[in-house]
Amino acid sequence: MMTRVITIIGFAGLILVLFVLEFLGRRKDSRIPTLGEWLGYVMRSWAGRLVVLLGWLWLGWHYFSR
Amino acid sequence: MAAEEVPRRPPSPPGWLRIRARVRNPGRKAVIGAGLAAYSWIAAGTVPFSRNALLIVLIPGLVLAAIAYGRPPQRIPPPERMDVAGFSYWAICIAALFEWEASAFKDSSLWWHPALTTLIDPMLGARPVKAAAILIWLLTGWALVRR
Repeated sequence: MMTRVITIIGFAGLILVLFVLEFLGRRKDSRIPTLGEWLGYVMRSWAGRLVVLLGWLWLGWHYFSR
Repeated sequence: MAAEEVPRRPPSPPGWLRIRARVRNPGRKAVIGAGLAAYSWIAAGTVPFSRNALLIVLIPGLVLAAIAYGRPPQRIPPPERMDVAGFSYWAICIAALFEWEASAFKDSSLWWHPALTTLIDPMLGARPVKAAAILIWLLTGWALVRR
């Protein structure tokens, strides 16, 4: 029971941190980028773009097709 | 790597290949929105593991790939530089999330270590929720093509 709770707290905590990062990134003069900026930076190269877009496709398949 | 100055991508493709990123006509915007909502609703009704369930994911993927390759929209330019620490925060969190999911998935998502998929699936059982999730996924795909 405890392990299951820890796993769920882990997921919730990580997702919460993502929201906090986005919030911090939107502050003026923040050193932390927003998720959009971060993805844009990763996608400057074709390889990065391909990985991100395949990741998006995989998410759709993983959650909506299966 | 993250803080290196890297030349920006070419600002935009030739004009005849470009489509406007912003739909200025509100009527057209409403039609596209309604179309996406209808698609999401239909897609949410497909049976998991079926051919149709696969197609509802592949079709938007192919459409976006065609747009990104053939008629790319005006893109939002990426930042020229990025703080290494700021870059790392995102990279670490996203990697940790994938690792946490992969470790559960590897264990066949046992009850004591459920995968995120296992936790989310019951919520996606309701068609309106699944349709909303698919709509968000579609809009995310469009946002990625614009980046």
